[in-house]
Amino acid sequence: MREVKVEVIGPEPPCMRCQAARRAVEKAAEKLKQAGITVNIEKTNIMSKENVQKYGVLVSPAIAINNTVKIMGRVPNPDEVEKLIMEASK
Amino acid sequence: MEEKTKRAIRAGIILAFVIVVIGLLIYSRIVAFSMAPQSKPVDLRPLPYWLIPIVYLIDYFSHGTICLLFAFTVAGLIYEFVPKEAITRYMGSSRAVGYALALGMAPFLTVCSCTMVPLFGGVLYAGAGIGPAITFLLMAPASNILTILLTGEMISWEVAGVRIIASAITALAAGIIISRTPWGKAIEKEHQIANTASASARVEIVRPPLDERLWAALKFAGYLAKQILPFFILGLIAVSYVEAFLPEDIVGTYLTGITGILIASAIGGPLYTPTLVEVVLGKAMWDLGMSKGALLSWLMGQPYDMANALAVSRIAKWKVVLNYMLIAWAGSVTFGLLYGILSNSL
Repeated sequence: MREVKVEVIGPEPPCMRCQAARRAVEKAAEKLKQAGITVNIEKTNIMSKENVQKYGVLVSPAIAINNTVKIMGRVPNPDEVEKLIMEASK
Repeated sequence: MEEKTKRAIRAGIILAFVIVVIGLLIYSRIVAFSMAPQSKPVDLRPLPYWLIPIVYLIDYFSHGTICLLFAFTVAGLIYEFVPKEAITRYMGSSRAVGYALALGMAPFLTVCSCTMVPLFGGVLYAGAGIGPAITFLLMAPASNILTILLTGEMISWEVAGVRIIASAITALAAGIIISRTPWGKAIEKEHQIANTASASARVEIVRPPLDERLWAALKFAGYLAKQILPFFILGLIAVSYVEAFLPEDIVGTYLTGITGILIASAIGGPLYTPTLVEVVLGKAMWDLGMSKGALLSWLMGQPYDMANALAVSRIAKWKVVLNYMLIAWAGSVTFGLLYGILSNSL
């Protein structure tokens, strides 16, 4: 069983586009479950000190996979997220 | 190979659409087709109450659709293709760079409320400090790409240009002044953290292929339109009544000269809704005899609107918010006066 951590980074309360980004990640996660990859989705606050310290200033929505920001300022489609998580799980 | 050709074709179709939109705008310029509604108060006044907004809306959309389509498409494209990682990398590097980026990038990044407050917080925390953060915050709504395009097409490019320059100077002044005040410094100290990205955390942006980026840009344009248009239409209905029933002599008395600038700048803020309505309303009042100086004050009055101030006060203290609103207001009055004098329309 492989595990991948995915952070969906956006403002609090979440904006529309960040919710859309989260839904895309959730869809991808569901598909990957069948492939034996567990995806831990976390919604984190873009303005928290921890996030700024970790990644610097970001444009929301951003998605970080295993502590690497891969997507910033756009809503990806589920297939793309799936591919990125697959790569990260290798 | 087949995948590649498919993508190329898709990218080609979307690009063709974009070129048609731009072409339409240029064509309308060449044949001198007006982007602004043509209804005059005289045409609207005799109509029954319920018919006024309908006539005005039809009039508006028969002229303004190209302009709106163009504005949304361009805003979507720019937002998608602006190099966001470069901004986030350099934003914290030094004060001067921070100010320059805040001024240069705010117009392109802030068509969506998603980005504005987070970026303000991020800039404040991560390096450049409160000065550039305030500059960014003030510049963003004052001259984002949608409002500038609409101001240019509907009112005049002269006013749009003056608006950009005036708000840039005001935003810069606000940033520098607030970063010198004791309470500004206190907030900076409170929030400042060392930007030491740990070895495990990285930023590696993945770029999707061109056709997907273009499609995402159009989708974002559609999202913006969906967010803004309902309010915009409601605003237009209000504007139609203003155009029909606001007597010219009231506009002539109260919205010209120095009083006009003071009144315009005072009502511009509280009345502001981030929906481009202010541009149409400004245009309507200008038609009725508002001076150019007052028009500029009106358009610049928005950054100190309530919603914005509330969002900021959550991070910064009320003293900073008050400073920021005062400077924004002073800027709108000063430049209104200057522009009124220079353009001989006070």
